[in-house]
Amino acid sequence: MNRMHPTRILALTAILLIVWIFSALLSLNIGSVSIPLETCFRILRDRLAGDTNGTNSVEAILLSVRLPRVLLGSLVGAALAVAGTAFQSLLRNPLADPYVLGVSTGASMGTILYSILAASLGIAAYGGNFVIARPLAAFLGAVLTIVAVYLIAGDGHRFTEGSQHLLLAGIVMASFISSINIFLLTGTNQADLRGILYWLIGDLSRPVDASIYIVTGIVFAGTFILYLASHSLNLISMGEESALILGVEVRRTKIAVYVVASLITGAVVSISGPIAYIGLICPHIARMMFGCDNRMLFPAVFVFGAIFTTLADTIARTLLSPTELPVGVITALCGAPLFVYLLRRRGGKA
Amino acid sequence: MNNTIALEASNLAFSYKKPVVRNLSLRLERGIMIGMIGPNGSGKTTILRLLAGILRPNSGDVLLGGNTPLNRLGRKEIARHIAVVPQSNGTWNYHTVFQFVLLGRSPHLSLLGFESTNDEEIALGALKLTHLEHMRDARATEISGGEKQRLLLARALAQQTEILMLDELTANLDINYQVELMRMISQITREKNLATLVVSHEINLLAAFCSRIVLIADGAIRSQGIVSEVITRDNLKDLFGMDFSVRSTNSGTSEVMPHLNEGDNA
Repeated sequence: MNRMHPTRILALTAILLIVWIFSALLSLNIGSVSIPLETCFRILRDRLAGDTNGTNSVEAILLSVRLPRVLLGSLVGAALAVAGTAFQSLLRNPLADPYVLGVSTGASMGTILYSILAASLGIAAYGGNFVIARPLAAFLGAVLTIVAVYLIAGDGHRFTEGSQHLLLAGIVMASFISSINIFLLTGTNQADLRGILYWLIGDLSRPVDASIYIVTGIVFAGTFILYLASHSLNLISMGEESALILGVEVRRTKIAVYVVASLITGAVVSISGPIAYIGLICPHIARMMFGCDNRMLFPAVFVFGAIFTTLADTIARTLLSPTELPVGVITALCGAPLFVYLLRRRGGKA
Repeated sequence: MNNTIALEASNLAFSYKKPVVRNLSLRLERGIMIGMIGPNGSGKTTILRLLAGILRPNSGDVLLGGNTPLNRLGRKEIARHIAVVPQSNGTWNYHTVFQFVLLGRSPHLSLLGFESTNDEEIALGALKLTHLEHMRDARATEISGGEKQRLLLARALAQQTEILMLDELTANLDINYQVELMRMISQITREKNLATLVVSHEINLLAAFCSRIVLIADGAIRSQGIVSEVITRDNLKDLFGMDFSVRSTNSGTSEVMPHLNEGDNA
C-alpha cells in the first residue's frame, strides 16, 4: 500500500455506512415491542413520502422513541470516537480518550453548574430559549478540565511518548470532578435522582430539546475541522520537531485540535452525559482494521462510533428488559478490560 | 554572485537561560556544501535550528534567498525551501520505506492532504538517489541504522528544497557507511545545485567532502573558509584544547589526527 487514495477512504466509509444502517435497523427492530423490519420500512417509507395519517402505537414507538434514540446514539458515539482519535493522536497515547482524560466529566460538571445557575435565575435549563447555553457550559467545563489536567501533569510529561502522567492526572481529575458533581446534585435537592444518576453514567433515554440542532452542527463542523488537520496530526504523532520540519504549524494545530475535540465532547456530553470509553474502544478497533493514518481513521471512526454506540444502546435497552440500563454501563463493561489490555501491552513494551 | 545566495544569516543571537549563539553571520550558497565543526555544547545544533527557522533568534535576521526574512514565512512555506534532517527523528511509526519518504511531500500538499501521482514519482526519485528503491515496501522500523539515515535523507530530498541541513547524519554509523553517505550528499549537492549545511563531529569526513568549513566555539564562528585555510593545527587546538597533526593530501583536502600521549597505545 502506497499513498492514501481518497477513493479508498470513500469506499470504506460507504461500507461502514451500510453496516451502520443495518445496526440502526436492528436497533429499531429490537425492544420491549418487537417491530418487524418490513413494518419499520413501511412506516419510514410512508413518513418520508409525507404520509402522516393513522399514527398508531407501533409508529409512535418507532418514530418518537426508537428512531430519535438511534440517531442520538449515533451522533454521540461518532463525536466521542472522533474526539478520542484526536486526543490519542495529539498525545501520542492510545489510552487517551475524553473520558479517561476527565474531559467528559468536566463537561458534565459544566452542564450541572449551568442547570443550577439556570434554576436560580428561573430559566429552563432544558428546552427554553437559551439552548446554546448548555452545550457552551459543557464546553467550558471540558476545556477547563483539560487545562487543569495539563497543569497537573507538569512540564516535560505532556508530550513525551507514552505520557502516562497526563493519563494519571486525567483519572485523578475525573474522580475529583465526579465527587463535585455528586456534591452539587445532592446539594440542589433534585427530584429525578434516578434520571440524574443515569445521565452521570451516560444515558440516551432522556428526550432531547432544540439544543440537539446546535450539537449536531458542532459535531459535524468539528469533525470536518479535525479532518482538515488529519495529515498534520499524522506528522505530529511522529514527533513535534519532525512535524515542524515538514511544515506543520505545530502549536496552532495542537491548540485547534484541543479546542475542537473538547467542543465536540462538551456538546454531546451536555445531552447524553459522559459515556465511558467510546473514545477509547472505537479508535482502537478502527486502527486495527484500517491502519493508523488519520485521513482514513477520522471518517472510519466517525461511522464506527455511531455503529458501536447504536449496538451498545440496543443491548442497554434490552438486556434487562423491561428495565433499561444506561448505555454507559455497557460501554464501560467493554472499555475497562480493553483499557487494562492496552495498559499492560504498553507496559510490556516499555 | 547574489543570485547564488540561498540563505543568509546576519548577526544572529539566541539565548536559552544564558547566551547560546552570539553575533553569528553565515551565508549558504547554491552548489556549495558547508561543514560545521565544533566541540560538544558549542551551539551547532542551535545554530542549525535558527537557520532552519525552527527557533527564532533574539536578534538578527535569517533571509531566504538573501532577501525574504524567514520569520515572515509560515512553516509550510519554509519547508518548501529548507529541508532538515534532525539529530533524532522521533518515531518511525507504521510506515513502509516508501510511505516514510512520501511524508517529505507534506509541505506541498493541498488542504485535504492527499499526495498525487507526481508526489509518488518524486518520492520514488528520492529513493533512487539514496539507493533505497529496492526496499520500498520494507517497514521503516525494521531496516538497519545506515539505511535509516539514508531514509531520512531521502525524505528531506523529497521535499525538493534548495537548502539541505543535516545534523549529525553520519553519527553511529560504520566508517564505510559514513563515507558512502557523505559521497552521496556531496554528489546530490552538485547535481541538484543545493545549498547544503552538514553538522558533524567527523572532521576528516567534512574536510574530505565539503567545499567550505565553519568552526564554532561558544556559539560564535571562530573561523570560516576553504578547508585548507580553516582546518589548521592552531584552529583545532583552539577549538578542542589538544594537539593535532594536519596533513594536506594530494587531492587538496586535509587529514587530521589527534596527538596521543605516550602510553595511550597500550
